[in-house]
This record gives sequence, C-alpha cells and structure tokens, in this order.
Amino acid sequence: MDISYFYNPTIIVGFAIGILSLLAISSQKDDLHALILTDVIECAMLIIIAGVGTDLAEALILPGLVVSLAELLAVSEVLITRKYLKSKTPKPKSYKLFEEFKLPLHTGELRYNIQMEVLKTSPKFLSIVLVVYGAILSGFTGGAVIATGLLFYALSQRVAGLKISEELKTLWEGMSGLSGIAWALWVLGFLGFFLFPEKWLLCLLMSGLGLVIKVGSKLGLIGYIGEVND
Amino acid sequence: MIETISGFPIGIVPLGDIVFSFSEFSVIGFITAVVFTTIVYLTNPEKQLEAQKFKVEDKLEVVTLNELKIRRMMAIVCGIATAGAMLTYDLFDYALFLSLVGIANIGIVSAVKREWVLNAAYQYGLIAIISTLPLFGSAGMVLAKTGTLSLFELSKIQTSLLFEKIIFAAGMAGETGIAPFYAAKAEMFRAPGSPYILMIHLSSLLLIVRTVEILLTI
Repeated sequence: MDISYFYNPTIIVGFAIGILSLLAISSQKDDLHALILTDVIECAMLIIIAGVGTDLAEALILPGLVVSLAELLAVSEVLITRKYLKSKTPKPKSYKLFEEFKLPLHTGELRYNIQMEVLKTSPKFLSIVLVVYGAILSGFTGGAVIATGLLFYALSQRVAGLKISEELKTLWEGMSGLSGIAWALWVLGFLGFFLFPEKWLLCLLMSGLGLVIKVGSKLGLIGYIGEVND
Repeated sequence: MIETISGFPIGIVPLGDIVFSFSEFSVIGFITAVVFTTIVYLTNPEKQLEAQKFKVEDKLEVVTLNELKIRRMMAIVCGIATAGAMLTYDLFDYALFLSLVGIANIGIVSAVKREWVLNAAYQYGLIAIISTLPLFGSAGMVLAKTGTLSLFELSKIQTSLLFEKIIFAAGMAGETGIAPFYAAKAEMFRAPGSPYILMIHLSSLLLIVRTVEILLTI
C-alpha cells in the first residue's frame, strides 16, 4: 500500500489542527481553557506520527502520549497551586479524590433529606453489567472494563455516603495481588523467549500460567457476582 | 569541517534500535551534565537577600526543607535527562529527552510558593506543551521520508531534510525556552534557590549545542 498517498493529507490535517488551536489559545483569556486547548495540539502531534502508518510509528505513539500526559499533569498542578495562592482562604490539609462529586445531601446544604432508592441500586446494577461484560471480553480491554465497573461502584458508594463491605474490599485486594503476580509471570515468560531462547518451554509455561490465572480470576469474578444478593 | 563536529567516535552501546554512542563531543557534554547533577545533589540552596523598595529593612528568603527536597529531585531528574540526551543517537529518543527536560524545568520551580513564579511556570508549560507538536511531528516526518530515526543512518542518506530540520529546531526552541520564548521563562529565575535554578540554564545550553550538532550531521 502506498503510504505517502495518505501521509500528505494527514500532515496537513495535523498542522491545521495545531494552527487553529494556537489561534484559539491566543484569543483565550481563561487559563484552564488555554491549558485544555494545548492538549488538542498534543493530539495533533499524535495524528502526525500516526500518519506515518508503520510499525515503528505505532511504537512511537505511546511515548508521545505519555510525555504529553506528564506535561499536562505538571502544568495543571502548577495551575492548581497558583489558584490556591491567589485565594487567601486557608488551605485544607489534604484534598480528597473526587471530593467535588459529593452530593449536597452529605455536605448539609440541602434542606430536605431525600431518600432515593435509585441512588443505591443503579450503581450496583451498572457496575455488575460492566464487570460481566468485561469478564466476557478478552485481554486488556476486558480488564479495563472490569476495573471501570469496580471503580464506578466504589466511587458511587462513596458519593452516596455508604460503606463498602470489608469482605468485598478483601476480595478486591486479593484479586489485584493475584493479577499482579500473573502479570509479572507473563512478562517474565515473554522476556525469557528473547533472553534464553533455549528454555522456551519453561517460558511458555510461565506466560501460559500467568494468562490462565488472569483469565481464571476474571471467571471467578463472574462466579462471585452470582452470589452477591444483599 | 562541519562533518567532524562530533569529533572522534569512541564507542557504541548496541542496545538494539536505541543506540547510545560516545564521541568526543557527547562525552564532554555527558560529563558536564553528570558533574553538575552531583553538585546539585551535594549543595544546599542559597539564601536570598531581597532589597526592598522604599523600605529600610531587607527580606531574607529561605528555601524550606519541604520545598528543597522536591526541587532537588527534579533538578537531578533534569540532569540525568540532559546527560541521556547527550549520548543518544536516536532522533525520537532525543525528542523524548528534550520534553523530559521541559517537564523537569517546570517541576524545579513548581514548588516555589510565589504567585509570579508559578504564573511564569504556567506560561512556560503551555509553550512546552505546544512545542511538542513540531518536535515529535518533525521526527515523524523524518521517519516517513527516510524510513529510519537512527542518526548514524540519517547521516548516510542523501535526502534534503531542510523543512523537518527547521520544524525540529522550532520545537527545541520552545521546549528549552530560548530566545523567542524566553520571556515566559525569565520570570522563573527570580525564585530563590540557586543551584536548582541554574540547572534550568545548564540543561538548556547543553541541549541547544547538541541540537545544533544533530541538525548539522543529519
């Protein structure tokens, strides 16, 4: 396939996005908006690299993405500190993650204490759907979907002011520990193929065992969901 | 004459595609970066005595221990990134080291609790983020045009890379914060804490020289 046929329009698109974002930044007064618009420029950078369309370019996208994320985080941290310095209010000792999502129900600003059943049941339902779907999927995608489901459940329990049961927490800890060990086994086995090719059988078994544990833990999760009925 | 700017080649570290190489030029840059990193690790920051306008007494600025630790770490990261950029002979790796130095430069001043310093760091950070587009974009274009990113291979290929070189130089200028973008960075130097702040200068200088060397050889 002729890559250069596609490459020229891709470059033009990338630079056009970059230049248009620069124009937008120049007319932007709000700091936060300017920061987010610079992230659009990072995406244009990824477009240009992706336009090369070879295996090497594919390998280059990930470091580019990591760098852009690191820069975005660093600058946003600077922005937060500056905002704090600007406001003369005394700083709270530690920021809690996702504190912004707390309902007025628990901060005490809402006058009427409304008990809505859907607030308690819908997160459970949605997270179960996500976990089941992720367990059926394979590979990284499935793990990401499962993790999203669990994270959604944990966050929504916290927002609704409810506690997560100790049993569930222990189970999650165990799952993540097992998953880490399996991951390490898989990586070591994979590395072994290149470093010690003569011991291929051992490495194959190691990575195979890692994969089996990972998939098995996912399937175990399905079994656990069946038992949750409180 | 220009071909021999990197000097006599001493050796190569063959790590697959990611080639590190020692030449007279790169070894000198590497040693300078390492020595300065060691100095930064060993010394305490200076105390700054600020003269006050229309007032009698002067103000003593002290770098607290909390602030010192994070800034020293970022300065060391900056030094290591600079040292790595001196040795690498892969264009994309070099671009990565450049942007790492840009992040570390923001990190060095970000612990300073002064509003104008953080303001300048924010502006410089925006420039650093924006300039990754020309930096990595030109690396991608070089890859598309020649099929390789190794500087050894690029120096053998007889293709005109003028446009890519110009864009790469522009990206470097934004990332290290030299002349057209210096205005955003200059305010950052008013922060107290001398050896850490000097690391920003040193990394920029070494990277500019190295970029010139790279752009002349490919």
